[in-house]
Amino acid sequence: MQKVLIVDDEEVLRMLIEDTLEDLENVEIHTAENGGEALLRLAADPYDLVILDYMMPVMTGIEVLSELDGELKSRTPIMMLTAKAQEMDRNRAREAGARYFMPKPFSPMELLQLVEVILSEKP
Amino acid sequence: MRNHKLADRSIKTKYYRILLILFIAIMAGGISLFYYINAQQEQLEQDREVLQHKTGTINELADTLKEVFFRARGYVATQSGSELALLNTAVKELDGILEQYSSLKLSAEEARYRDDLKLFYEQYKSETLPEAIRLVDNNDYEGIRNLSQNGSTRTVNEYLGYTKQFQARSDALLNDMASRSIKQADLFTFIAFGLSALLLLFLTLLIWRMLRIIIDPIVKLEEATNSLAAGEAVLLGKLHKKDEIGRLYDAFLNMARSIQDKEEELMMQNEELHAQQDELQDQQFRLERSLSEIESMMKALNQTSAVGILSNKGVFTYVNDNLSYYTGYKSSEIIGYTYRLFELRNLSDSQMEQMLRKLSTGGVWSSELEMEAKNGSALWLQLTIMPYLNDEGQIYQYILIANNITSMKNVQQELAETLKSTEQTTIMLELNNQLNHEITYTLDKQEFAEKFNTFMNRLYSFDSSLFLLVKDKIAVVKGIPPENVERYVDENSQEMLYRLSQEKSYIVKRAGLPREQGISAREVYCYDFYTTVVNAEDEILAIFCGTRIGHSFTGEETSEIQGMMNRVALAIERLFMYEEMENGRELNRDIVNNVNEGIQFVNTEGVIQHINKALSQLFSYDAWAEGMLIPEELWMEHFTRRVNESEELRQFYLKAMSEHSVDSSAMKYSIGKEDMKHVDAYAIPVFRREVRVGTLFVHRDITREYELDLMKSELVSTVSHELRTPLSSVLGFTELLLSKTMKPEKQLKYLETIHKEAKRLTELINDFLDLQRMESGTQLYNVEQINLSETVLSVIDQYKLSGTHHILLEDEALNAEVEVDKDKIIQVLTNLLSNAIKFSPGCNEIKVMLHNEPGSVMVRIQDHGLGIPKNQIGQLFQKFRRVDNSASKRIGGTGLGLAICKEIIEKQQGTIGIESVEGEGSTVWFSLPVFQAKTSHQEEESSHKWTAGKEHKPNVMIVEDDYSLSLLLSEELKGKGFRVTHHYHPQKAFDQAVKTPFVAIVVDLMLGDELDGWDLIRMLKNDPRTENVPIVISSALDKGDKSMMDNVRKYLTKPYPPGELSGTLQEIVDIQLKTGEVLFPDNGEAGH
Repeated sequence: MQKVLIVDDEEVLRMLIEDTLEDLENVEIHTAENGGEALLRLAADPYDLVILDYMMPVMTGIEVLSELDGELKSRTPIMMLTAKAQEMDRNRAREAGARYFMPKPFSPMELLQLVEVILSEKP
Repeated sequence: MRNHKLADRSIKTKYYRILLILFIAIMAGGISLFYYINAQQEQLEQDREVLQHKTGTINELADTLKEVFFRARGYVATQSGSELALLNTAVKELDGILEQYSSLKLSAEEARYRDDLKLFYEQYKSETLPEAIRLVDNNDYEGIRNLSQNGSTRTVNEYLGYTKQFQARSDALLNDMASRSIKQADLFTFIAFGLSALLLLFLTLLIWRMLRIIIDPIVKLEEATNSLAAGEAVLLGKLHKKDEIGRLYDAFLNMARSIQDKEEELMMQNEELHAQQDELQDQQFRLERSLSEIESMMKALNQTSAVGILSNKGVFTYVNDNLSYYTGYKSSEIIGYTYRLFELRNLSDSQMEQMLRKLSTGGVWSSELEMEAKNGSALWLQLTIMPYLNDEGQIYQYILIANNITSMKNVQQELAETLKSTEQTTIMLELNNQLNHEITYTLDKQEFAEKFNTFMNRLYSFDSSLFLLVKDKIAVVKGIPPENVERYVDENSQEMLYRLSQEKSYIVKRAGLPREQGISAREVYCYDFYTTVVNAEDEILAIFCGTRIGHSFTGEETSEIQGMMNRVALAIERLFMYEEMENGRELNRDIVNNVNEGIQFVNTEGVIQHINKALSQLFSYDAWAEGMLIPEELWMEHFTRRVNESEELRQFYLKAMSEHSVDSSAMKYSIGKEDMKHVDAYAIPVFRREVRVGTLFVHRDITREYELDLMKSELVSTVSHELRTPLSSVLGFTELLLSKTMKPEKQLKYLETIHKEAKRLTELINDFLDLQRMESGTQLYNVEQINLSETVLSVIDQYKLSGTHHILLEDEALNAEVEVDKDKIIQVLTNLLSNAIKFSPGCNEIKVMLHNEPGSVMVRIQDHGLGIPKNQIGQLFQKFRRVDNSASKRIGGTGLGLAICKEIIEKQQGTIGIESVEGEGSTVWFSLPVFQAKTSHQEEESSHKWTAGKEHKPNVMIVEDDYSLSLLLSEELKGKGFRVTHHYHPQKAFDQAVKTPFVAIVVDLMLGDELDGWDLIRMLKNDPRTENVPIVISSALDKGDKSMMDNVRKYLTKPYPPGELSGTLQEIVDIQLKTGEVLFPDNGEAGH
């Protein structure tokens, strides 16, 4: 059973991503609505993929990444979900440890495909 | 000790010692050699003796042996007893010799031989001989023959042979020994010769060395002595030896030195003597020359001066021609007479005494004297008298030398006179010069006037004077009261000025005033001099009036003063010009100092010439003051250090200041860390008459623009985010719907979400556009006069229908007339109410309150919802700011609502704000200015007694908890010309009723609170201020409590047409108008 964590402050988007990924077999989906909750969950369980929103109040996606230790980041694929599609933001996210990007608005089917690829790479 | 040491080192001792050692060595060697030779010879002798003895013994042995054999044979042959006796004797002798032989020192061969012999002999003696004897006795010749054949004879013969051999060898040995001793003797001779040679060599060495040590120095000494004798320098080094030669050397050197010293001394003395001689010669020569000089001097003196010689009694003994020539006396007339012959004019007795005293002490006296010549004319003489002293120091004669200085004296007198007049001219010139200086360097008008007046007084000795600068009314007076000045300053001065402008200058002669009279007994006349200073346009710049008492003005003075005035005119004009310039400069400085931009002017050397206030504030630099010059090394560091881009700014400065930069340049920099300032600086090279004079730097604080820029880009990024989120939902769910099969419920849910998000998107875009429009100022506001209470009520009403929340209105505003854009205010109210509803889930009461404040009406919307954290309150009116917590997140919203509200309210000259406690709820308030034209009127009205029947609207209060009904009634009443105040709370209604005059109060009985309509009626009736206010009941209930009915004017049972209420109220007003009843509660005096 693989585990995916969705971190987004917008309930609608969490639902959208959750519903997009619900057909995946052997995948358990967890959600967190802010950075703090995401950190708690990541500390408690190992995840096979984290889908992280860039722009969140209180703690941005970048801030969440900077809180995580490097070992966890290298082991966990992180996909940054961002409306900020500019190159600069991408670079910043990459430096912080995100390996994948999905610009908003995104196509659920594309997201699904990307997630399938990422999860299949991970045993 | 020293002697001992010296003795040790002396050559003598040394040689004694060497000789002694040599002697001992030779003696020892000789003796030992002698003994050695002796010993060797003795040894040799001994050897020979031994050998000889041995040889002797052997020979004896051989002889004895032969004897034995011979006797034996004889016995045998003869058989005589004597022969036997002889034999025995021989044998005995042989025994002895043999014994002797054995005791000798023998070589090994000899010893063996001796043993053989012994053995043979023993055998012979013990066997052979007795046998032979026996045989002989027995006469057995046969046996004897056998015996001799047996070999005994042979042995004897053998031995004899041996003896002979031995003898021969011994001889050879002896010979050998002899030759050895000869050889030895040769050796000794050789050794002796060698020793002698060695001794000779040693002696030679000794002598050679002695020669070296002693003879060489002596030769040198000899040379030195020769050179000393020849008087040459002795070039003899010191010999570092302590022996006799060394000492001799030292002694010789000392001697040579002392001889040389002596010689030098002698030479010096000689030279001195020579010099003295030279000097003497020189002196003699000089003496001769002096003599001839004196002679020629005397000759010259005789040519130029008068010379006389006086005896010690003062009698002339010699007079030269000049003296007679000067005085006019012949020499014969002078010689023999005392000096008193000449009459001295300017020599007083005391001077005479002084002269005599000086001369008597041998001093020289010299002076200028005036005396009378023979013809009685004055004669000036430069006289010098010298006393001549004899050997005892007594004066024996005087010499008198005199020069005629009469003509010089005359010239001197003339000169003195000229000098005096020149001095006077100089003083005048100096004064003029001073004036020129003053008027050139004085820039202050008052000071100038004072200086000029003082100067005029000094130059022309005025007794009183006045100097007036006409335009500035600056006056300086001397000796006259200030009132006199006013004549020239007031309007009437025109006439006087007119005369002055016509005549330039004039003099008035008048009788002196009492104060001018002074102590003079006669009548005194005063002369007033009037003149003007005019510019090129003939305008009068200044007036000068001066008075002299009893002393008129010469034509020269008049024209001089006139000229002075022309000069002053220029100076005054210059003063005016300077003042104008100064004003212009100050204006410029004020402009420069008061602009917001920092301005800095740097000359071509990098020196700051000017900094304005804004710049010194920007860089916190107060080192510069007006007129100061600050070199680059002092300011550059200070400026650049303050800036975050130090190096860039330095480069900018350097580049802009360099000669090559002819165009303006610009850069941006920032100052500070937390409170960062952004500055745009540009540099412009400044040219004056096409010559570069410096660079002007202008620093503009663009912090605001910079921050706006930053905000704008932040806004764009936020907007893009805010738009993308709902867009993501719309697109995402649509795609899910399209690509997946799902249950109809889910489809519906998705569609609802899409709809909601699309709506949110629209709302967002609308809000954003609204805000943009408002902020950019393109929003048009349709301002109209509205009643705020009504508007609030209408908005509340809308929410009542959807109603999850109960919205209560507390309207305490008397005058809610405002001039605003109604739609926009509705938008604000809608926004605030929906916020209040959204953010207070689970708490269904929202209160809207209206009340008056000075000049404005205040609307407060209070909820008991989530509240806002204190630190976020301040940010709420910014765009896209929502309270960041999960609860508020769920609620959603565009985040633009409050920003829009703020924009609208502020555009209507209102203010808006929030008070909140987190967890307890929030109150959003805004206030709008009350419509002015009416307000002032109404305030007046409310502060005075209300009189019915005027054009003013009658006040009516409705106490009703049903808002739609009260709204309905209000509309009706307003249509009929009433002013309506609405309350739902009985207590509040009462509180207002005691303050405000109402023509009637409409009360609903069912108010749902702890107090009902009846309670209110009771309260009103029990209060003297309100007991007379007519009450109309509007209730769904039937009439109940009769006891209270007295106080009620009308009872309307719901539902009733609104017109009935307005009709009733109109009746009441009409009655009041008729009866003149004044329904105003006036501080407890109501009812009158």
